[in-house]
Formats: sequence, C-alpha cells, structure tokens
Amino acid sequence: MAKIDRRTVLRGMGVTMCLPWMDSLSAFAATPSAFPKRFGVLFMGCGVNENHWSAEGNGADMKLGLSLSPLEPLKEKINVVTGLFNKNATGQGIHPAQTGQLLTGTTISKGAVIHSGISVDQMIANHVGQDTLQPSIVLACEQPMTGYHETNFSLAYSSHISWQNADSPVPNEVYPALAFDTLFENRGSLRNLSILDRVRDAAQTLSRQISSTDREKLDEYMTSVREVETRVDSMRKNQEKADDLAKLKNQPVLSMPRPANGLPEDFREHTKLMCDIIALAFQTDKTRVASLLLARDLSALYYPFLDAAPEGHHAASHNNLSDGYERITRFHVSQLAYLAAKLDAMPEGEGTVLDNSCLMFTSSLWVGRTHNNSRLPVVLAGGLGGTLQTGRTLDYVDAGDENRRMCSLYLGIMDRMGVKVDQFGDATTRLANL
Amino acid sequence: MTKLHAVLFTPVLVLAGIAVPMNAAAPATEVAVERGFTGTVQPFVATYCTSCHSGEKAAGQLDLRSYTTVDSVVHDYARWNRVIARLTAKEMPPATAKQPSDADRQQVIDWIQATWQNEARLHDGDPGVVLARRLSNSEYNYTIRDLTGVDIQPAREFPVDPANQAGFDNSGESLAMSPALLNKYLLAARDVADHMYLNGTGFSFAPHPMLVETDLDQYCIQQIVDFYERQDTDYADYFRAAWIYKNRGVLGKPKATLAEIAAQNKVSAKYLATVWQALDAREDAGPLAKLQGMWRALPVPKANQPDLANDGAVQMRDFVSRMRLDTAMRFASPGVKGLSTASQPLFNWKNAQYASHRRDFDRAALRVEGEPPPVAPVLPLDKNGKPVALGLVGTGPNGEDLTPLRAEIAAYTSRMANPDLVVPAGQRPRYEAAFAKFSSVFPDTFYVKERGRFYPDPGDDKGRLLSAGFHNVMGYTRDDTPLKELILDDKGQKELEALWDQFEFVADYTARTYVQFFFNQSGEILGNGRESGTLRPADKDVTAEAIIMNFKTSYLDFVTKAAAQKADPVAFEAVAQHFERVNAVLRGVERERVTAEPRHLDALMAFAARAYRRPLSAAERADILSFYHSLREKSGLTHEDAMRDSVVSVLMSPYFCYRLDLSTSRAQPSPYARASVATPAAPLSDFALASRLSYFLWSSMPDAELLAHASTGDLHKEPVLTAQVRLMLKDDRAVGLSTEFGGNWLDFRRFEDINTVDRERFPDFTNALREAMFQEPIRLIGEVIRSDRPVLDLLYGNYTFVNPVLATHYGMPEVTGGPDHWVRIDNARDYQRGGLLPMAVFLTQNAPGLRTSPVKRGYWVARRVLGEVIPPPPPVVPELPKDESKLDMPLRDVLAQHRKNPACASCHARFDTFGLTFENYGPVGESRTKDLAGHAVDTQATFPGGTQATGLSGLQTYIHANREKDFLDNLNRKMLVYALGRSLQLSDEPLIQRMNTRLAANGYRVSALIDTIVSSPQFLNRRASSDSSNATPRKAAN
Repeated sequence: MAKIDRRTVLRGMGVTMCLPWMDSLSAFAATPSAFPKRFGVLFMGCGVNENHWSAEGNGADMKLGLSLSPLEPLKEKINVVTGLFNKNATGQGIHPAQTGQLLTGTTISKGAVIHSGISVDQMIANHVGQDTLQPSIVLACEQPMTGYHETNFSLAYSSHISWQNADSPVPNEVYPALAFDTLFENRGSLRNLSILDRVRDAAQTLSRQISSTDREKLDEYMTSVREVETRVDSMRKNQEKADDLAKLKNQPVLSMPRPANGLPEDFREHTKLMCDIIALAFQTDKTRVASLLLARDLSALYYPFLDAAPEGHHAASHNNLSDGYERITRFHVSQLAYLAAKLDAMPEGEGTVLDNSCLMFTSSLWVGRTHNNSRLPVVLAGGLGGTLQTGRTLDYVDAGDENRRMCSLYLGIMDRMGVKVDQFGDATTRLANL
Repeated sequence: MTKLHAVLFTPVLVLAGIAVPMNAAAPATEVAVERGFTGTVQPFVATYCTSCHSGEKAAGQLDLRSYTTVDSVVHDYARWNRVIARLTAKEMPPATAKQPSDADRQQVIDWIQATWQNEARLHDGDPGVVLARRLSNSEYNYTIRDLTGVDIQPAREFPVDPANQAGFDNSGESLAMSPALLNKYLLAARDVADHMYLNGTGFSFAPHPMLVETDLDQYCIQQIVDFYERQDTDYADYFRAAWIYKNRGVLGKPKATLAEIAAQNKVSAKYLATVWQALDAREDAGPLAKLQGMWRALPVPKANQPDLANDGAVQMRDFVSRMRLDTAMRFASPGVKGLSTASQPLFNWKNAQYASHRRDFDRAALRVEGEPPPVAPVLPLDKNGKPVALGLVGTGPNGEDLTPLRAEIAAYTSRMANPDLVVPAGQRPRYEAAFAKFSSVFPDTFYVKERGRFYPDPGDDKGRLLSAGFHNVMGYTRDDTPLKELILDDKGQKELEALWDQFEFVADYTARTYVQFFFNQSGEILGNGRESGTLRPADKDVTAEAIIMNFKTSYLDFVTKAAAQKADPVAFEAVAQHFERVNAVLRGVERERVTAEPRHLDALMAFAARAYRRPLSAAERADILSFYHSLREKSGLTHEDAMRDSVVSVLMSPYFCYRLDLSTSRAQPSPYARASVATPAAPLSDFALASRLSYFLWSSMPDAELLAHASTGDLHKEPVLTAQVRLMLKDDRAVGLSTEFGGNWLDFRRFEDINTVDRERFPDFTNALREAMFQEPIRLIGEVIRSDRPVLDLLYGNYTFVNPVLATHYGMPEVTGGPDHWVRIDNARDYQRGGLLPMAVFLTQNAPGLRTSPVKRGYWVARRVLGEVIPPPPPVVPELPKDESKLDMPLRDVLAQHRKNPACASCHARFDTFGLTFENYGPVGESRTKDLAGHAVDTQATFPGGTQATGLSGLQTYIHANREKDFLDNLNRKMLVYALGRSLQLSDEPLIQRMNTRLAANGYRVSALIDTIVSSPQFLNRRASSDSSNATPRKAAN
C-alpha cells in the first residue's frame, strides 16, 4: 500500500467534494500528481510574422518576440518549439494540402473523397474520454468552407483540424451557447435514459402477458435495462451533486452564465467565450480534450479592431511581414495567453489546472507569403502534471527531417496522457529532449 | 470375425438411435413403468453398475446412482441409449466384473425400450419448451441487414454467443442478457440510427453514418452520379440498335418492336425512337444529311451477323461527337466592373446558359465559302508580351471572363480542319436550320457530372462531382437537361428529380452554399475583394428572407453603378434571378420539411411494424407517437434527433431484439397434438410461424411475402407453406442457413478469427486465404440447399467451390477475378478435393499449427460428421510435440503408441484412424507427399471393426458401407435442434425416424428433410402452458 502524505490526504478530502473523478483515496499514490491531465489545441491558420515570432533562453531569462509577448507572465510554464513539420504536408500544394494532416500526420486525398487520419486530440479522447461527460469538445470561431481549392483538395481540410477517423472530420461547434450546453448535459446520456425508460415500461407491460418461463427471460432483459439506467443516471447525479456541493462550500468553481444564442458580433467576444468554455470544462472535468479553431486555414475573418488589412486574414497573410499581420498573430496568441492564465488561476493540488494540462498553439504555415511550411510555429503551455518540463526554447530546425516530426511531438504528448502507441501519423519515434 | 470385432461393430447401429423400435407392443401403463424401474432396474444397477458408475469420479462420467426417478431417466434419454448399447453388446459390465444373467440383462434392456416407446407415444409431437430469447449476434446482424437494406453489422463487436449442448447459439437455453450486453445493444442501436437519413417521403439508411455534412454531400451526390452513369448515352449503341431494328427480319426478329429492341440492347426506348426518326428521314444538307448517308451505307447483315455494323456505328458516333465538339456553345460570365467573373450570381448565370443550350449550337462555328476565314483567337498579352495567365478563376487583365476564349482557342484547329463546317455561299440560313435540327437530336453532351473552374477546360480540377466550379467555396450545378428531355422516360425523370430533391433535403446544399457565400465572398460589393465576407449580423439567421433580399438590392445597386461603365445588361437579370432562386429554394425546403414531418412519422410506424415482425396494435402506434412527441416537447429535441431516438427505441424494444414469437400463452385445445392432454399444444399464430420460418431458413426477419401470407392467415396451410419454403431455400438469404447451421454443426463458425497458424512457416496463410477457406463449406452447403441436392453430396460429392486464392492453394487451375468471384470445380477429386471432408478449413482448424493432428481431425469426423458422443480425455495426458519437423518418427507411429494403452484405446480406437487418412494434407490443408520432417506420408488406416483403407476415398468407402446412417441421423438431429431452437427430447424420436425415412425415400434431398421439419407439430405448435394469466392472449400478434 503506497504511502500517502497527510497534507495530500486532507487536501484530497476537500477537493474530492467538487471534483468527482476522485472517489477513492487510493487515487493519491505518492506520485508527483494524480490529477487528470488535459490536452488542448488552439489553431490559427496561414502562418505567422516570422520576424516577430521568436524565443531565446530558458526560464526567467527567456526573451520572447513581439508576437509571443502576451505569454510573458507565463513564460516559465511554456515551451516554445521551433522547427517541427509534417513531411506529408509538403510538396502537395498550398493551403488545404498543408492543413488536412496537421494533427494526423498522414497523407490526404484529392478530389471527391476526403481522407486523412485520426487526429491526436481524438486519439487521446478515445482513450481518456470515457471517464468524463464529454470525450472531447471541438470548437471553432469560424464557419467551415467545403468547396474545392485550385489544387483540387477539398476545403474541408482547411476548415477542420480534429478528425474522428480517416474519413470524417469532427464537426466544429461554432455557437458558444451550444458548446456551453454540452458541458452541462451529456445530451447523449440523457437521451439514452429516455429511451431506456420507455423500453422498460413496454417490457413491463409485456411481461404481464406471457408465461412464467418466458417471463424469466424477459426479466433478464428488464434487469439489464434497469442496471444500465441506474449507472447512467448515477453518473449524471454525481456531476450535479459535485456541482451543488462545490457551490455550498464556496469552492472557487468557475462559473459563467449561459452565452446568448447566436454568434457574437464582435470576434473578440467569440474567442473569449470559447476559451472560457474550455477553461470551465477542464476545471470541472467535464472533458479533458479540447480543440479550438480560432481562424481557419484560408481564413476570411477580418479584424476591424486591429487596424489590420481590410481584406481579411488570408489576404493579409500574403503580406505576413507587415505590422498588420503581426497584430493579427499577436491577437491570436493572446487567446492562448488568456486561456492559459485562466487555467493557471485555478488551484489544483499543489499547483494549478494549467500545471496538469498541455495547451498547444500552432498554425498550418510558417510564412504566409511563400506558403512555407517546412517548419511550423508551436507553443506549448502547461506541464502535464510534472511530466513535461517547461520554460524552455526547443529548436529542432537543424535536427534532420527524421528527428523533427510533429507526430514525434504528438507521441510524446500521448505518452504523458497515458496513451501508449508505437506509431502515429508518420512517426515511430518520440521527439528527443521533450 | 472375432468376438472383439462383433463387440465393436454392433454398438454403432444402436448409437444412431434407431434402436427405439416403434412396434405395436402393448402400451405400458405408468404404474407398470414405475414398478419396472423400482423393482427391476434400480436393483440391477445397484448390484452390477454403481461400484464404478457412481459418485463424483464416476467412470465415463456416468453416475447411474443419481437416477432416482423414471422422469430423470427419460430426461436423460440420450445417455441411457448408450446404456442400452453397452448392455446389448455385453461390453458392460466389463469382462473383469461380476456378470448378470442373460435374462436379467434383457429385462433391463426391455424396460428401457418399453419406457421409450411409452414416452414417445404419449408425447409424440410435443413442441417442447422453447424459451423466448434474444436474437443471436448473427441473427441481429442479418436482421438489421434486411430491415435497413444496408449490411451495417452493428453486432460485430458483441461478445461471442454461448452455444447450447447441441452446439448452436440460437436457443434460449444458452442465450442470456446482461447489463454489459444491453449497453452494447444500445450502442449498436445508436450506430444503426446514425446511418439513417430523412428524405421528403420517409427515411432510409445509408452505407455509412449520416451525421457529418461531408457524409451527407457525398452520399447524395454519389446517388445522382450513379444514376447518370446507369443511363446509356453512347450514340454508337443507339446507331447499332437502330440498325438491328432496320434489319430485324434478317436477324431473326421480324416482329420485334423498336421498344423491344431497345430493351434487349439496354438503351432508352424513347431516345432510340428519336434517333430512328432522324436517321430514317432524308435531309438534303448539313450534318444530318451526311449522317443519314453513313447510315444508309451500313452493311446489310446475314442472319448470324448481329455485330456487322458495330464499326460503322462507331464511325457514325465519332462523326457526331466531332461535329458537336466543334459546334458546342460557350458562355462567359456577364461582366460587371468591380465584380469578379467568379462572383456567384454571375457565374451561376453562365452555368445556367451552358445547361440550357446543349441542344443548340454555336453559329460562329460555321464558315461560309468564299468569305475570309476566322482569325485564330489568342489570349491577350501581359506587359511582357506573353499570353496572360488565367489566374485562379479564369479572369483576364480587364476583369473579363477568359474561359470561353480559352475554349475557342482549343477548338480552333479542329474547326478549321473540319470541312463539314463549311457552308456554301449564300446558304447560311439553310445550313443553320440544318445544324439546329442536328444539334437538337444530338446534344453536345447529355449531362455534366464534373466541372472545374475553367469549364469547359477541366485542367487539374478533376473529380469534383456535380461541382459548380467555384473556387474555394462549395457550390453545385445541375446540367442534365438533354438527359431528361431525350433519354429518360417519365419514370426515369421522376427518379432523377427525386434524387436532386433528396440532395437538397438531406444535405441542405443551397442553404450551405449561401452561408459560405455570405461569410467568404459577399464582401465583394463592399470593395473588399473576391475573398471577403460580410460581418455576421446580430440575428444568427443569415438565411432569413430579409437578408437575402437585402443582398439582392445591394448587388443590383452595385450593378447599376457599374452599368454607367457599360456593364452587361444581362447582369441585372443574373443578379436578380440568383437571389430570387436562392430564396425560393430555401423557403421551399423549409416548407418541405414541415410537410415531410408527418410522412416521417408514418414511416416510423411502418419501420416499427417491420421491426416487430407483425402489425402494430392501435395502442402501440399511439405509444410510438407519444414517445416522439415527448422527445420534441419535454426533451426539446429537434425533429431529426427525435426521429433518430425513436428509431433507437424501436431497436431496443424487446419486440425487436427478442424472439417473443416463441413465447407461450394460456392453454388452448389443439387440433394438432395427436397425443393426450399430457402436453397441451397450441398452434403458432401465422405471424409467429413466419418468424420461425425465416429465422430457421434465413437467420433473419420474415419478408413482405411471408408477412402477407400471415396477414391473410394461410401461411400454415399445406400448399402455401411448402411453396414458401421452396422460395426461401432458393433465396440469397438462405446463406444464413448454410453459415449459421453449417458453421456451428461442423464447428468452423469462428474460423475467421483463428490465429494458430504460424505465418512465418506458412506464408501462404494470409487473411485472404483464411477467409476463402471459411467460405468454401458455406458455398458447398449453400449449393446443396439451393439446388436441392442429396445431402450425401456433402460426403462424396466430386465438386467444390473455389475463389482465386483458394484455387492456388489447392493447386487448381488459375481462377481470375477478385475474392468474391467463386467458381464451381466439377472434377475436384483430381485435386484431392470434393465434399466437406478434405476442405482446408477443417484440416487447418483441426491441426495445432505446426503439424497435423490425426487425433483432432479424426475426432472431428467421428463427433461432428458422424455424431458419435465421445467423453473428454482424462486430465493427465502426455503432450505430443508441437512441431512435426521435430519428430523423429512419423506422427502415425507416435500415435500408434498411445492406442496401445487400453485406457486410451477405448475411445481413441474409435476415431484416431479416421484422422490418419488425412495425412496427405498438411497443417493448412495443403496437399503433400512428405511431412514437415521429411517422412513420406502414409494414409493407410485400420478403422473400427478392422476394415483397412487408404486415404480419403478409403474413408468415404468405409462411411458409405458402415456409417452412412450415422451421418444422416446426425444431420437430421442437428437440423431439428437448430430449427426448433431447443435440445431434443424423447418425444422427438418418432419425428426423427420419419425424417430419416422420408429423406431416404426422396433421394436424400435436402428439401425432404426441411419439409418434414416444417410440417411437424413440433414446428407448427408451441407448448401452451397452464400458467394462468389475467390478460387475454395478445390479439395483435394474430
């Protein structure tokens, strides 16, 4: 029996009340952290202003370029990773051919049939998702396009980053109110309850009309229905109870009002709401996997509040060294900073929710004006429960193509999330020095 | 013949169970039977048997002391048959034990036989207790296949079903439900419901889930494109058919009509008539005249020359295609300064022009003799003097649409080289009329299924099915007017309209196209460029009529301003029409969704009735509706979600996933039971009978025809019943019987999952070969069923079925095609195959990976094929080596050792030697002459009884001479258990006898076997329990 120190036990008692996943003390072995780990992806399409995307040094001495400056207060909890890429995203054409495999690492198909692979977030969700209300949430602040690009790849590749399997991207939830609703009700389980209820009623009526030997067989069925109902119901009740108790104890459970229906007119409000929803979901363990598409590849968003180009994000990216595009990039990075700071303000065990998470910010390109994606901008925030060292700048630009795969990074993250696979996408080895 | 030989020989006949003589001895009374048991049998057993046959470690697992009542003996009659056998053969008590007198022995034998007779006569025809049960996994899969029309196989991840004693998984004796399994049922039901999609008249199921937009698009588009591709649009086929009609007298069909010839040649009758009229007339000028000349020049055939005109027809077609390529019309987007040519209202206008002018032609393609020829068109030059590139959307330097110019450039050479485009001086009007007539009959294309940005030049934009050719954003264009007008009849036209309607209804494509336009392109009228959108409005509904009309106004204003700079006046019309059309479609779809809702609910009722395999009662209909409404009102679900959940609840209902048709109700007097009231029986309702038939012969739900007979109430009547059985056995769904019955009877049902073969040592054993091996017996049994062959074909037939990979494995001549291409091999014996016995699946299944196993193979023959019951081996048995290559003497010699041990021999003598005849087949059933250690194989064997034989033919001869009745009797019993869904009981023995008799009297044909079962009281009735119930028997089922 592992030794559990007294402080952890006491803390554990308090935390147990509002975080339902901890229902037995044996969860606190004397390991660094027994809190659930979360993974999130934030995506901005079309690349960055490479003159201002930089990081040097480690820890408190890290110097961040202008586009990364929103992360200054958190720099000891981040990793700025340079030089990773997806080989399958190069040499196939621009834009959708560079995005369809961002999180999958596979090849993708032209023409009528869309085909990629399962994305890293969905892979993780398949493994850890059954312990939470939602296996994952897939959000976006921009609607999808599904026509064809001039390279003959579908724009579905540009509009989605999460893929549930090789043939289907996960549909993005663009409406904050609907994303909010899924946190408080696994509509799926509620709907199943209604069905089971009704079916059990029908079976009860039926059992009065059949012979005793047959009734025994039908009893097996009714008992099973009741069992399943009870389990589903108790999981829901545990969630409600946890929420109620938390409120009673004045624990700092983040709460937010339900967003208004529809899409916010101001883009800034849209991104904030989506980040708030992810923060709430992580903190209350409604899910442990999230992806947020802030701006698509080939994004048509435009930012009147930023004094950037009026013709939109994608057009501006063709002039990515401009100040306007730098401001766009910095705005999106500030969403990462906002979310990370929010998670860092939520105490959890000896640290914060951020310490037990990993948020990955990335883009489909490095340089928009040349459509260069031979290396991708990546920032990681959070330490995954002490398994991921933070406060570093990691440079793989010269490591050689075999040693700088995005999928090697994904394998490393999956390891730390408890998902052990031998290969993912185009990688069979983990990233060195992660 | 030694005494030993006689002793071994005799029991064989007895084990077949035909030992129950149904002679007219005086019926024993129950009291007499009881007295016989207590007075004679029990003391005998106590004296001579229980010293070995009692307690936990009873010899042969037979504890005779445990039988304390007559009922217990009757219940275990199969075991007591063996008691008779051993006693009669004087094998028991063993020679070393105390022996009873012959008279005492005979008394016990007589008692047993009399008891059997009594029981059987009393209860002959007893349906027995057939428990209501859930569907087995396979039945669930087949049922979903037939219910939805799509082979979704939702039960593929269910845990393997347990089997009953007879080895079948379709009985309530072994099938149970648990919470874990119910959870899987729920997931499976959701999986099936996810494949559902609503259309204008009801709902259907797609081969893949229909939840994500890309899935919906793909499904609907593929249906339309598949429809297009099913239509014959090749002119050559029509010219050929017309020629056949012209020469129909010579070709042997003088009375054939044009329509009949069209049908025979698989072309459209409507269009053939049009083509015939055009060819048969006489033009005096233009391309039609030339074509008619070519037509008249086609050769006249003799009677056996139906293909004589093929080349000529192709030439005619090539002429037509060339003419139309050179005269096809081309269109440009109307120009509006400040708007791209790719602006949707303008671009769609262009597409619509193409779609409506395919039976027209480009007058500029004609050139008049004597007039100066047209100058070669060229692209404008850029500032470096080079031809300008077309850019992303085909726009030129002045914002003009360059795609028609590009097409003109591509066509110029061909046009200039085409003499048939030259018109004599002064005759332009006459020739234009001729070309118009020609083009009307022969469109430049019947339909367009792919379109890129630079249409008609595809460039790299291939595979964009039904695409409008927009850049980046989605959009579709329908361009199939000539197909509709010329080729499709009324029915075809309706079908095509329905598919486009379905596309709109299911995938909502016009609305989604408009939304993408809103966010990605509509900013063009604000001057923000071609790839910019409008900021989102406060109201989330960008598809509202007001917003669409607002766009119309804004665009028209824009065009008005641009008109001052000479915008094309057509642009006004294009813009207005575009937004009007979008709005009309969106509003129409909204209305259609409302009107469709009640139709969806009707479809839900129909679905439930099919799922429950009987009509619904009024209460059930109301219940389904009220559940739907509670989902809408209380749970707040959308109509689509509520429909899906309703489908899930139908699939979770016990009426679907349970065989309640087997369920009993209160006792009723029965006209069928010939017996006394000892076992009250009631006839199955016709609906219950329909299900029993279909689950027997198809492992799936009854079809509409069976249910129609059930409705009429004549399904149980003799001619109808037999006729239905005939039809069902010939139906493709009978594969359920060959797979589930055959697979479980012969123990290969799970073969698709085996992994005992070392694939490094046997690299030929791929998944494809494994699958082919699995299919082979199913194909053979399927053929025997479908063609009503003698069941003995299974043992001795000189034929089998192979696909390409299996043919290679067997060393047979190459079979071409894919894995689903199976051919019949009629001289299989030439390759050491034929019938079930030498099939690779059994030889592999019964071999432990790296060597053969005569023991296992022989056991399989004795147990599965011949129906012998052999107790399991004792716990301590020395292992044989795993790898044959490591044996220093041949396996047969190793085995001979363990037959020398008398403790082992008593069982092994009965089957080891069967396995030795298969030694010329290796561990994966491959033919061989040497084993893996290099020893020559020897297939000689000495069978029980002393017969010597060699190889498969030796085994077959032996079975034919000595064991054929065992095979037939075993097959009968197994089939009966499978059909009834319960283990056999003593009262079934007379039926078994009738089955055997009838089978032999009908050439051993399968239909005799099945007919006897289906017309038996056991099958047609059910036990009526005396369990009183307050409710009256359910009327709904009747």
